[in-house]
Amino acid sequence: MYKRSFVAGALSIALVAAATACSSSASDKAATPGANSDQPVTITVWGWDGTVEAAVPGFEKTHPNIKVDVVNAGSSFDEYQALDNAIQAGSGVPDLAMFEYFSVSYFAIPGKLTDLSKFGAKDFESDYVPGAWNNVVLGDGVYALPSDYGPAVMFYNMDTFAKAGIDSPPKTWEEYYQDAKAIHALGSDYYIMNDNADIFLLQSLIWQSGGRPFKVDGYDVNIDFSQPYTKRAVDYWQRMLDEGLVTTSFAAWSDDWNRTLNNGTLATQLIGGWFTSTLPERAPEQKGNFRVAPLPQWKDGQNVGAENGGSAFGIPKDAPHPDAAYQFLEYFTHGDGVQTRVDQGAFVPNVAVLNDPAFLSHTDAYFGDQEYRKVLAEASKDVATGWQYPPFFEWARSVYGDIAIPYYTTGKGSLEGILDEWKKQMTAYGNDQGFTVNK
Amino acid sequence: MSLQSTSVDAELAAPTPRRRNKVKRKQTGWLFLAPFALLFTFVLIVPISYSAYLSVFKNALVGGTSFVGFDNYVKLMADDNFWDAVRRVLLFTAVQVPIMLLSAALIALALDSRRLRGTNFARISVFLPYAVPAIVSTLIWGFMLGVRYGLFKSFNEGLGTSIDPFTPPLTLVSIGVMITWAFTGYNVLIFYSALKAIPHDLYEAASIDGAKQRQIIRFVKLPALRGSITITVIFSIIGTFQMFNEPQILPAIVSNSGITTHYTPNMYAYQLAFTGSEHGYAAALALVMALITVVLAYAVQLWGMRRALD
Repeated sequence: MYKRSFVAGALSIALVAAATACSSSASDKAATPGANSDQPVTITVWGWDGTVEAAVPGFEKTHPNIKVDVVNAGSSFDEYQALDNAIQAGSGVPDLAMFEYFSVSYFAIPGKLTDLSKFGAKDFESDYVPGAWNNVVLGDGVYALPSDYGPAVMFYNMDTFAKAGIDSPPKTWEEYYQDAKAIHALGSDYYIMNDNADIFLLQSLIWQSGGRPFKVDGYDVNIDFSQPYTKRAVDYWQRMLDEGLVTTSFAAWSDDWNRTLNNGTLATQLIGGWFTSTLPERAPEQKGNFRVAPLPQWKDGQNVGAENGGSAFGIPKDAPHPDAAYQFLEYFTHGDGVQTRVDQGAFVPNVAVLNDPAFLSHTDAYFGDQEYRKVLAEASKDVATGWQYPPFFEWARSVYGDIAIPYYTTGKGSLEGILDEWKKQMTAYGNDQGFTVNK
Repeated sequence: MSLQSTSVDAELAAPTPRRRNKVKRKQTGWLFLAPFALLFTFVLIVPISYSAYLSVFKNALVGGTSFVGFDNYVKLMADDNFWDAVRRVLLFTAVQVPIMLLSAALIALALDSRRLRGTNFARISVFLPYAVPAIVSTLIWGFMLGVRYGLFKSFNEGLGTSIDPFTPPLTLVSIGVMITWAFTGYNVLIFYSALKAIPHDLYEAASIDGAKQRQIIRFVKLPALRGSITITVIFSIIGTFQMFNEPQILPAIVSNSGITTHYTPNMYAYQLAFTGSEHGYAAALALVMALITVVLAYAVQLWGMRRALD
């Protein structure tokens, strides 16, 4: 008798616990129909961009019924995972979430993002640089609004270049190659660039060259690394690696990389424009030596750019308050909130900002008082369009490392071989996941 | 006769104190067990059952979740990445665990020999590495063993060698060094407690028989360690099979280490579940890995028990 009552008691506790868990998530969904902005509403924004928080006070003043709660739910990949989990669990879905451009299609294609066309977002097309807008549009819909941008540019160390007898940054890739030889001649530690299986680097080179290895049409994906423009970039970089002009002995973002930048033996960085915020901390001893320049071109006089990073914000499909979310989204990516964020250091792809003389005339002593934003703005406008990311790019980029590692470690193989294997694995994975890849 | 009937009446009227005590003891027993039972259920039984449930589904980015029966397990059996990782972890266990336990046993014997000065200090300092969080120790080791700016640079310069501890064949050795450094102290503690628990009359008997130190170690101390050796072997196998921290963090610090996303089974499961969104497949992998670990641990336990009964 006692045993039965004890078991009954334990079961009832478990049931109550389960019931409260279920009912709390149900009440989350039922709480607000979303359309009524007369009711005070709190929206949750997930993002690791520190400047978004700065736009909140201005928004809350003009929208007294909406409170904004900005939460850092992890950066990049960690946040995508958390968002996927929330969507699958059916609870805890934020009203707005941050996405790097390559992950927008990952969420948009299976319908996990709200199409913003119904809010009138399509009218904003000309307010952003084409490269950025290209990333948030899929088919007929707009699935996110760009919040920042990373045009691929070249940071070069004037001092190191001067040591090698070069007085101006390379304008073409042929010049870059010649300069690389001159830099490496300074000493066995001197290199023009580093690369350790960095897919973003290779990709920005392919992008700028005009290669479009990924073609996505809904669930149909076509992967091809053999097109001439793609091959041009790959063969060029292969030659740089083969001739030992690029160092592969340390990983980017590691302590070793910081020190190499800091002691001036690494002459350039082909990286996103956002690097301006972190380079001064990594290489303080090179203050006044680094400058920003556009990427070298394939033909003298051209002005073709590529992208290396950047993010956007979108509204998940099951967001509790989509209308209120869109009001804030529009505010900080398109409206008055943009300037607040720019003042905090954000680099945005909004054309109005990139044309603003006050914005462009900003200088920084670290870059020798160069008006570096002019370079970044031009580079943003020059980003070539037509690029598409495959919808499973996160997985693909983690696997790229696995495939590329043996080559970078042993020297056996080639970039072409790596890309071929990568294509094979992406095809197998994509088809297994329900896409139609290369069929 | 009347006495008998009254005692029977008395018995029928109320349960005897003995029977009431038995029920109360049973209830008390359950109450004592309850906290652990609840924890065990929610922390072990429920997640494992849920994983088993997940593993019979396939998750596709397009099309969502679908029931596939044992397909995930069949796919796992043919998965080169998985078996490669299992082989690596088995090799690592076979080499690292004996070295670590031998060192731990020697250190424990040394501490117990009472010939050591500063036993307390030695005991604490041997155990300290275990207290360092794995991430912190990996970062520091990564720096120390670095050939560009770390200690190994000086080592190479001093000896004229050019060894890079983080190139593919040596990477596993370096990880072995890190793990041995971290966990030897833990095993020393277990062995030391076992040695301390040896009844003193055994030592007296040994000295009466005229045993030398070497013989005391061989005939008194080592047999006493037998039980704890079995335990530490099981713990170490479980630990190395789950290796994750070091290979996960190292690629961010060192390049060309040869560490892939499927270097160990745990890393592969993590990659599958969180990068590839293949939760069902990852669950199947985790369960198969758990099964392999359980089988091995059970085999070790049987071996240990049989040795103990000799």
